[in-house]
Amino acid sequence: MSENSANKEWEPKIVAIVCNWCTYAGADLAGISRIQYPPNVRIIRVPCTGRINPFYIVKALQEGADGVLVSGCHPGECHYISGNLVACRKFAMLKSFLNYIGIEGDRTMFTWVSASEGDRFAQVIRGVTTKVKALGPANKMVKKF
Amino acid sequence: MAHKNSQKRVKPEDRKKKVIGVVARGCTTRSLIIHLQERQYERDDVCIIGVPCDGYVDGKGLKVKIGGADIVEGTVDGGQLKMKTSDGDKTVALKDVLAECCLTCRFNNPIISDVMIGSPAPAMNPDAEYNDVKEFEAKSIEERWAYFIKEMEKCIRCNACRQACPSCYCPTCFVEQSQPQWVGIGEDKTDTQVFQFMRLYHMVGRCVDCGSCVSVCPMGVDLRKFLKKIDKDCFEMFSNRAGSSMEDMPPLGKYDEHHDKQDFIYNP
Ligand code: SF4
Ligand code: SF4
Ligand code: SF4
Repeated sequence: MSENSANKEWEPKIVAIVCNWCTYAGADLAGISRIQYPPNVRIIRVPCTGRINPFYIVKALQEGADGVLVSGCHPGECHYISGNLVACRKFAMLKSFLNYIGIEGDRTMFTWVSASEGDRFAQVIRGVTTKVKALGPANKMVKKF
Repeated sequence: MAHKNSQKRVKPEDRKKKVIGVVARGCTTRSLIIHLQERQYERDDVCIIGVPCDGYVDGKGLKVKIGGADIVEGTVDGGQLKMKTSDGDKTVALKDVLAECCLTCRFNNPIISDVMIGSPAPAMNPDAEYNDVKEFEAKSIEERWAYFIKEMEKCIRCNACRQACPSCYCPTCFVEQSQPQWVGIGEDKTDTQVFQFMRLYHMVGRCVDCGSCVSVCPMGVDLRKFLKKIDKDCFEMFSNRAGSSMEDMPPLGKYDEHHDKQDFIYNP
């Protein structure tokens, strides 16, 4: 290993699945306003958090994501009225069950960020990146390709 | 009757075979209610003949208890199970060999029926229903993970658990889907873990604790440890017990704006 990469700190890979109408626009706003946040997230845009099959999250973990973040509109602000509320139930169950089988709770994070909250988006990414960094590289349920 | 022999489960596709009458004990009526909630057929399409249930014998456990002898014949007599076996006559107390799910069953009497046979069975011990889960929850995260992978390593992906499950009736299960291919079909351990995790997750609000999966599993995977957690969470978060009421909706198909738990939502 070259000296350079040996010295390089490990950086987590985080998959952020966000809804088109709120959080994606929030991320855009963070960008437009030039708010700095860690470059560890790979954003996947979906129409609505209600569209997220919990399988996406499990698959992301299996395929090597160190953390998964899901973010949608605040309750009551969903573009499809209740997509985020239905999703909320699915995620509550998923997070608890992942933790039960032994996968750290901080690897799957759920939050709400609206289109006007560029600041909050950056804060969320900073927070999640710090948490996942503290856990270290994912090594449970990760497929070796 | 051994638990295994009671596993002719009713699935929605039985409708095509013109099944019109079902002899149902408590857990069977729960799975019928789930089919009805999920609009698989109409209430009028089935005639439910309800029977009270005192629990079923866990065949594998019984065999271990009597030292692996083959059972030729058996009768129940006042709480005692009397058997003729390849190793002579044996007697065990019925309560010592009942399936785990039956011992703590909350719904051993039919929830819905058109006709009832017999008088209601005495209650089992539902207060102990989550003891196992609570004990597991108290373990450290590494211990829990070690147990999960140890159990899942036994699994040979025969899919018997799914075949036996009354709630697993999807025409194309995710296991067989190829676009996208959710789980690899090789021997990779993580594929087995993901398969198990997702099938268990598909039981949110749908597992009636009938014990079929546990009883058919050839490898003795401790599925119930995980299924009961889902049941417990579902009750604690959404006050839902799978298939316990005709008025209920599937818990993941609805929401409650004011009472749904939001404390897991991250706020930086
Ligand atoms: S998961 Fe197992 S215990 Fe639950 S309903 Fe299906 S077969 Fe019965
Ligand atoms: S595991 Fe899931 S997809 Fe497969 S049959 Fe059961 S409920 Fe359907
Ligand atoms: S029945 Fe047992 S071995 Fe077969 S797929 Fe299910 S858990 Fe695995």
